[in-house]
Amino acid sequence: MLGYTITQWLFGILSFLAVMFALLVVFSKNPVHSVLYLVLTFFCIAGHYLLMNAQFLAIVHIAVYAGAIMVLFLFVIMLLNLNEQHEPRRTSVSRIIGVIVAGLFLMVLVGVLKGTEQLQLTNTANAEAGLIKNLGQVLFNEFLFPFEIVSILLLAALVGAIMLGKKEVKENVNENRI
Amino acid sequence: MTAFILYKSIICLAIFILSLTVAAYASWWERKLSGFLQDRYGPNRAGKWGLLQPLADGGKMLFKEEIIPNLSNKFLFVIAPGIFIITTIVAGVLIPWAPPVKIGDTYYAMQATDIDIGVVFLLGVTSVGVYGIMIGGWASNNKYSLLGAIRASAQMISYELAMGISLIALIISAGGTLSFSEILQVQDAGYANVVWQPLGFVIFFVCSLAETNRAPFDLAECETELVGGYHTEYSAFKLGLFLFAEYMAMFVSSAVMAGFYFGGYNFPFAAELYQAMGLEEGSWIITLIGFTVYFAKTLLFISVFMWIRWTLPRFRYDQLMNLGWKALLPLSLLNLAITVVVEFIRGNIQF
Amino acid sequence: MNGLIIICGLGLLAMISEIFKFRSVLFPLVLTGLLAALALNVWEWNNPMHISYFENMIGFDRSALAFSTVILAIALLWFVLAQDYFKSGQHLVDHYALVLFALAGALMLTGCKNMTTLFLGIETLSIPMYVLAASKKNDLKSNEAGFKYLIMGSFASGFLLFGIALVYGATASFDFEEIKAYIAVFQGELPGFFYVGVIFILIAMAFKIAVAPFHFWAPDVYEGSPVLITGLMSTVVKTAAFAAFMRLFMMCFSNVSELWVTLLAVIVALSLAVSNFTAVMQTNTKRMLAYSSISHAAFMLMIIMSDKGETASVNSLIYYSLAYSLASLSAFAVIYLVSKNGSEDITELNGLHKRNRLLTITLTIALLSLAGIPVTAGFFAKYFVLSQIPSDTLLWLTILAIISSTIAAFYYLKIVGSMFFADSYTKEPIVVQKSHAFVLIVCVVLLLLFGMVPGLITELALY
Repeated sequence: MLGYTITQWLFGILSFLAVMFALLVVFSKNPVHSVLYLVLTFFCIAGHYLLMNAQFLAIVHIAVYAGAIMVLFLFVIMLLNLNEQHEPRRTSVSRIIGVIVAGLFLMVLVGVLKGTEQLQLTNTANAEAGLIKNLGQVLFNEFLFPFEIVSILLLAALVGAIMLGKKEVKENVNENRI
Repeated sequence: MTAFILYKSIICLAIFILSLTVAAYASWWERKLSGFLQDRYGPNRAGKWGLLQPLADGGKMLFKEEIIPNLSNKFLFVIAPGIFIITTIVAGVLIPWAPPVKIGDTYYAMQATDIDIGVVFLLGVTSVGVYGIMIGGWASNNKYSLLGAIRASAQMISYELAMGISLIALIISAGGTLSFSEILQVQDAGYANVVWQPLGFVIFFVCSLAETNRAPFDLAECETELVGGYHTEYSAFKLGLFLFAEYMAMFVSSAVMAGFYFGGYNFPFAAELYQAMGLEEGSWIITLIGFTVYFAKTLLFISVFMWIRWTLPRFRYDQLMNLGWKALLPLSLLNLAITVVVEFIRGNIQF
Repeated sequence: MNGLIIICGLGLLAMISEIFKFRSVLFPLVLTGLLAALALNVWEWNNPMHISYFENMIGFDRSALAFSTVILAIALLWFVLAQDYFKSGQHLVDHYALVLFALAGALMLTGCKNMTTLFLGIETLSIPMYVLAASKKNDLKSNEAGFKYLIMGSFASGFLLFGIALVYGATASFDFEEIKAYIAVFQGELPGFFYVGVIFILIAMAFKIAVAPFHFWAPDVYEGSPVLITGLMSTVVKTAAFAAFMRLFMMCFSNVSELWVTLLAVIVALSLAVSNFTAVMQTNTKRMLAYSSISHAAFMLMIIMSDKGETASVNSLIYYSLAYSLASLSAFAVIYLVSKNGSEDITELNGLHKRNRLLTITLTIALLSLAGIPVTAGFFAKYFVLSQIPSDTLLWLTILAIISSTIAAFYYLKIVGSMFFADSYTKEPIVVQKSHAFVLIVCVVLLLLFGMVPGLITELALY
């Protein structure tokens, strides 16, 4: 088809959708819509993982980001009942500054990535690297230390979240007495 | 290539029709069973034993007036039941319904697709299923719907953890494969997984009840508090889709349980039986017997789901959360630890 | 490595103590553990068995050991200081666990040899700090501090990840040594996005060590957090971040130094100018020390910029972090003890001389050291920095550094003066516990010792 393979077509469509949904995340006024567009963006990115033969990553990406994290986002937004009216009005100055900064950032990225298609691949990855067996091999051999240390990181985050979330029992009692 | 597409299309269509039929007749069976449990008849007017009742219900749903609340978010309101039913159907594609059949020289698996990360796929799809409920509840622009949706999704997220961890234990004792069909093959050679994973099965069963929003975990549809829960504002066929999807989710999770823990199409002395009958591997009779066995197991689980619904009272919300986080999650971690020790003794894992 | 394992174990032990009810002996256990970790560090120094572990993910060569010893020693002093702070709140065990996990992250950063360990170390260090910054739950300012720290820190982490991804894309490796080797071979042919990646990593690290123009979170966070947590931030966190910064830029990206040295020069100049001019106007002591920490971070960056060869620079970086950490810790300790029953305003220090002699002397020495007055360690710290800056190309930076030090000396000495000569609104003496006095005295003695014999650190044979 028009000189492109199916993979290239899929890549193009997925990229277009991902970018479009990402823009809609930013531009939609309703926070719930933003979250839903973000979920769609995640699905597109999961599609990219699939194109790279990384099935496990794709599914985990959906399960963790779309299925858990974004649900919590949606949760909070729904509970707070945020909608268009609550959107803080931005002044035109901050808008202009934002546009300028984002534009500069875009220029840097485009300028940097321009011409990279002519670069030669010096190191090609194993095409099966994304399959779960190979992923497990890499994770438990080469990346064993980071894998183990992530448990400390998650534990710390867990303790922190619980500490901040727990009700202060004793102090409330004291306040009532006073 | 054409043969492949044809074969896959047939399988997909068959599974689709099967799911729809079972979901429809599950509602009939539920009413019959509840009638039996409560010492009454249940539906008995439409056809023999009320067998045409699901069709009548479906027709009624189809011809009722569609009401879309004025202040709702129309697009999301309409799309939500669709999302819900799609995710439940997609979860069903992994189930290998019968042993592969041999036509010519090739084996044809009775499964829509056999991806090597089937278990993770299942978890991913079920976790996305929350969106149908959440979007539906929010888009209705009704406090009851919203509360129902939030309850449902909180419950699904909470129970997903314990479910995932009990599945990890299952995978360890099933020989470290994430593919659904390979999990079944392991049970063909040895015992059913429930022998090695009794605690894991109990946890998975309770979590499945919660994931499918069935009683005693049906707080999302708690009539006394929330009118109709997240589908309060839904009517006609969109309501029908929601109810339909719930039955379908029950069907899929029963099938998954029967496959993961009770051997699916395998049964004791299957090989001996086939030998006595003089059947070769890949024969279509084996496939038929296997399918019947698997289907019977699934129906048994559906019946157990219903039995529980008409026996146990509904949980309170804090009880539900306590059960999920303080009982099932630690238990599933304990189960994981026990599994590792047991499998080490069995010699299935080395250090 | 043993130190890291012990600290991780201590964190878990702290959490287990909640279940098995041995919370009361947790403090001595933690102290013993820290001492053991220190002792093992010294032992590892003398018996270098394995330099790197786990497929070169983490490695404790002598410079890493020196940094981790500094961190562990400061943490030890901090724990003695913070003993009653832990007891005051309800979440004793949670606080212990969080601080210990943060410490584990800091140790990981000192030994990181791989982008993954770098990132995980930074996160393990930061996430407990976000929580600790917000740990005064009823205080609006503390909440604000935690929130601001979290948002800014996550933003920086995003930059770091993007930078790592770009660098990985160019070099196909996460390993510092492999990246260095790759750069050495393909210098000049590297794609443009590699340089952007390096700059993103630089920006992220600048966020973490809080130097201008990425410093905006620091004053608010320092002011809002509980005093002792601020003390921890300005000592342990900063030292660890600098250790990582040094490993990253002096070792990994040393071959593209022309790229980042210019950027660092701008960052340093901005930080020096902004921090010292703003610090003069502050009325809150913690805020003032926040700005002072920005200017000290700029000084430490100057060491990384100077191309005097690795050993001398690393030695002076260790010396600077030690001197700064000790001075900062004792300053925050004094503010903690003074503000226990009062405010954190600068006027609270007026006439401190009449209320408690020890606190006054400690704060005087600490501030003199921060200002860089001779006999204290701060003097040699700054002296080494200025002597290492290449005078031909960066003379203007040296001059700027000297001018800003003079301004800094002004506001440090203003506090010293008000402590001795101004009148306080109360004459009520401040009672200092024995353990606190011990920490203060140790800090002062060390500051003076290192100030008089800088060779103790600078002549350490790192290689």
